[in-house]
Parts: sequence; C-alpha cells; structure tokens
Amino acid sequence: MKYLFLVFENIRRNPVRTILTGLGTMVMVLVVTLVFTVLTALDRATTEKQSNLKAIVTEKWQIPSMMPYSYAQALSEGGADPDDPDAARPEDSMSWGFFVGSTEENPAKRSFENMFFAFIMEPEKARTMLDEVDTLSDDDALPLTTAIQRMKDVPNGVIVGQERLDKMKKKVGDRITVFGRNYRDMNLELEIVGTFPREPARYADSSVISRDYFNRQLDAYQNTHNNKPHPMAEKTLGLVWLRLKDRQTFAKVSEQVLTSPSFTSPPVKIETSSTGIGGFLEAWRDIIWAMRWLMAPACLLTLSLVISNAISISVRERQLEFAVMKVLGFRPGQILAMVLVEALLIGTLSGLLSAVLTYAAVNGIWGGLPFRIAFFPKFAVPLDALWWGAAMGASTAFVGSFLPAWKARSVKVADVFARVT
Amino acid sequence: MPNPVKCVEVHNVHKSFRRGSEVVDVLNGLNLEVNEGEFVSLMGPSGSGKTTLLNLIAGLDQPSQGDVFVRGEHVSKMTESQLAAWRTRTVGFVFQFYNLLPVLTAYRNVELPLLLLPLSSAERKKQVLTALDIVGLSDRLHHRPGQLSGGQQQRVGIARAIVTDPALIVADEPTGALDSKSADEILNLLSELRKSLNKTIIIVTHDPRAAARADREVHLDKGLTINQIPATVTSP
Repeated sequence: MKYLFLVFENIRRNPVRTILTGLGTMVMVLVVTLVFTVLTALDRATTEKQSNLKAIVTEKWQIPSMMPYSYAQALSEGGADPDDPDAARPEDSMSWGFFVGSTEENPAKRSFENMFFAFIMEPEKARTMLDEVDTLSDDDALPLTTAIQRMKDVPNGVIVGQERLDKMKKKVGDRITVFGRNYRDMNLELEIVGTFPREPARYADSSVISRDYFNRQLDAYQNTHNNKPHPMAEKTLGLVWLRLKDRQTFAKVSEQVLTSPSFTSPPVKIETSSTGIGGFLEAWRDIIWAMRWLMAPACLLTLSLVISNAISISVRERQLEFAVMKVLGFRPGQILAMVLVEALLIGTLSGLLSAVLTYAAVNGIWGGLPFRIAFFPKFAVPLDALWWGAAMGASTAFVGSFLPAWKARSVKVADVFARVT
Repeated sequence: MPNPVKCVEVHNVHKSFRRGSEVVDVLNGLNLEVNEGEFVSLMGPSGSGKTTLLNLIAGLDQPSQGDVFVRGEHVSKMTESQLAAWRTRTVGFVFQFYNLLPVLTAYRNVELPLLLLPLSSAERKKQVLTALDIVGLSDRLHHRPGQLSGGQQQRVGIARAIVTDPALIVADEPTGALDSKSADEILNLLSELRKSLNKTIIIVTHDPRAAARADREVHLDKGLTINQIPATVTSP
C-alpha cells in the first residue's frame, strides 16, 4: 500500500495521455458492452432449460405459421386426451396470433413510425407467460396488470409498448384506428388502456389485443361481407406456448401433440422455446457470429493495443527513473508490479465508468439498446455489465501493459552510470 | 595508533565490456582500499575506469574477475536480489544529474529508499525530515524537482542518499552540473557529512577543486591506480 502514491503520481504525470487512454478504453468497453448485451440476451433465450421450460407449437411446414384457431384449446392442454387423467398437461399456456397494420390509412404514407404490431392473445397471459414479464415482481409488473384489468372493461382495449406509443405520438386513453395489413380490409378501432413496463425492453415496440375482441371482429367482417369469412379466418393461430414442468413432461406432451389426430391438417411441430428461438435466429446467424467472434475480439484487441501503446510510451520515457529506483534497491518485481498496477487502475476505472454510463444511458434514457434482431426490438444492458466493464478494462490493461512492464523491470541497473569514464 | 577499519577493499579487479565484436578491458587488476570515514576522490581521464570502479564498489555491476568487499561483505558474490537489499541498507547514491523522480516532491523523493525498509510511516517521516534538515531544505518539502534550483536538487539527492543512514556514500560527478557556488556548497555538505556522521565517501570527479576536498585522491589510468595522493598535496 505504501507504494500506491507512486502509482497515482505516475498516472498524474501526463494527464492528457491518461485521459486519452481512459477515453479510448471507455469507447472500446462501450462497444463490447453493447455487443455482449445483445449476445447474452440471445444466449439466454436460446439456452435449453431442464425444468420450468417453455415449448412452442407451430405449423410444421410453413413460416410464418398459420394454424386454425380451433387448434388452440386442445393445444393449450398439450394435446392431452380429455378423458385421460394421467396424460401430461402444461402448467400454463398462451396462444398467439399476429395482427400487423398501420395507423395510417393511405398505404403510400405507411412507415415504420405508424406501423402497428400486436399479439392477439388472452390479455392475462401477458403477465404469466411472456418471457421475462413472467418473472417480474408484482410491483414491477403493476403497469401491465393494471392494463390487463382495464381490458376486461374495455373489450377493444390495447396494451401498447412505450416506444411504440412515443412513435405514434399517443398516450394511454387515446383511441386509434389500425388498418390491417396481414388481415386485409380489417380495421380495428382500439382504445389504448395501458403500456408494458419499461423492463423488459423487448416488448417496447409491441402491443396486445384481446383474442375475444379479435374473433368478434372476424365475425363482424363475415356479417358485412355477404356471410363470407375473412380469407385468413382459419389461419389466425400463429403459435401456442406451453409451460412445462420438466423435459420429461416435454417429451410426453410432444408425443401427445404429434400423435394426435386433431393436429394433422395442417400438421404441427413442437419444440422448446430455446430451440424455436434458435431456429428463428438462424437468419441472423452470420451477423451474430461476426459480433461474437470478430467485433468483440477486435475491440478487445484494439483496446489492449491502445493501452499497450500508452504504457510503452510511458515506460520509454521513464527508463532512467526505473534504473534509479533499482539503484536505490527496488526489485524488478516491484517495478513490474508498479507499471502493471498503473495500467490496471486506468483500465479498471475507465472500464467501470464506461459500463456505469452505458448502463445508465442505454437503460435510463433510451429504454434499452435499439438493435432490432428477430423479435427482440431492444436489449436492456444487464446489471452484470458493470463488472464486465471493469473486468474488460482490467484484463485488457493487464495484457496490454505486460510487455512494457516487463521492459521496465528489465532496465539494467548500470544504465544510470553507463558511461565508461 | 590502532589500524583503521577498512570500509572498501578492491582486490585485483578486472572488468571488461563487449562493444560489438571488440572486448574492451576497462579495469586491469585494480586494487584499492578505503577506510571507514574516509573521503576519497577518483580522478582520471575519460575511459580510465573511474565510474566502472564506482559501480563495482556500489554493487551496481559485477567484476569480470577479482573481489570487492564492503564492510567485510563480499559484494562481488551477491545475487542481484541480495545486492538490491544490500544497496538499500549500505550505500547512498548521489548522481551528477540528481536523478530525482520529477513527479514526486522533495519529501517523497527522499522517502523513496525508506519504502524498502520495514519502517512505520512515522519513522519514515522522522528520517526524511532529519535528512532534509541536514541538507538545509526543511522549507522545500513539498516542492517538486522542477521547482528547485540545480543546487537544491542536488541537496535533495544527498538527502535521499543519507536518509537510510548508509555507511558508504558514492557520488558520480556530484558537482558536474552545478555552478561553482552551488558546487562549493555541495562539497561543503559532503565534507560535513563525513565529519559529523563519519560517512565513508567516494566521489568520481574531473574537477581538481572537488578532488582537493577529499582526504585522498586516487588517480586512475587504463584501468589501474597510478598514484594515491593525500589531497592536501594537490590542493591549490
């Protein structure tokens, strides 16, 4: 500890260089933190669970999956024979349809800003089955549970993510008309009854409308179109989520679903949600690979080189001082440690500061990292990023400064009195 | 009269350096003895081996052949690690260009060698203040080297050299970078240290006036001592 003042004084020796090195570290840590934020969220979503897992049932041969809604009830029971008390059944379930439209009637004026995307589902399932919402505390989920409660009184209610609300320049209580895109000639008159919590950020751009309300709109369409059903009327079920106790239950439910005669036209497939999401992410495989194996390592390498360069210059300038210190009795290991600690201090503090600022800015100001990939519109920087930042700064500082530090320790004692006189 | 105690004994020391493919013999079987409390100046033309000899005595380098003893310790047989610890305890260094750490205050520069000793903060402080008081810089504790004159910087260098209370002080051209007034002050200070603290002092110098302050001038040429003269004989 008594040597620490030497470290601090050396860091203060050239404030401009120290600040520039720190800023370089912060920028690199920022980039890698953002990359890791996306990757860890995707990894978490695609990691196979052994218990309390979720399964997805979708149409077997078609993407996007479009099953008849008549499948929903039986699938939500895991394809179990109603008369068989020993059949495996899910602990919970959720059916999804998708309604894509725009708040702009004129197709020529439709844009990302006025786009509207909604899950057609039982509203209360948004609390119990949506990934990451299902694990929120009651306090954190309060905005959503309030909105779900409100939908019972307002059948045409819609829950809209905060970011989508902002883009549409709407607020809770406003009414909107949504002009259907995948359901042509179906326009929904909706009342915004609430919003999703800010965390998780992945639903910031999504909406939820009631399955009952939507089915009534399909009926209304038929009534106003010479009793002719909507062309999509038998294709309104996108997928069914099942919450299963464990993998054994999953195996049983899979067998029930796949062997049931109820799901043959069209046939269905069942997979764990992680496998399903993984399959969905296949389209982004190359970009994810590049982020993981090119971008992040390149940033870390660059960061090491930035630190190495700064410390090398510093060591070169101080050759004589290291020699003097050795003359006074400092051991090579002490000089090595001093240089390493200088670099570690700059790296660790800069990395930590960068991570704290990234966490605060991305989550607090932007409500998540807006990096649209698959159905993840935003990624919240996890709290773990704080130690990632410090660890990245420290490890790259260690790697980058080791060679210069070794040079410092290897200064010849006689260099101070090098002249032969 | 009892025999004086030997502080430094250099026996038949050879030192050669490789310069490209050429081997340069700097010291060729040199012998030297310095008594405790003696003030010796090493003089000689460039390349005569003065600084090389000083390095060997101070444990900064090892002889190619021969032995160096300081206060009975066989310096030329010590490992680098042993030498580092030995230097802290036994030798104080004064450099021509002071070699103070520019980022540290006078106080911190003087404290530097004490960090290597098992001393409490209070003990270190006491020793630093004493050393700076001896060199007359008690009022410059918090000045950095850049805020001090050359003479003051050399005083801080001397304070750093004596702060661990070493038996031997070695100085390489301690007045070489100073004006004559400051040089005189530094030489007075070194003489005073020898008298009041009984330090053994060896300086390398080209300056006859500096050499004259010593008890004995040792003249070197071609790696050998050519004569050893009581300083008063050559004093102007």
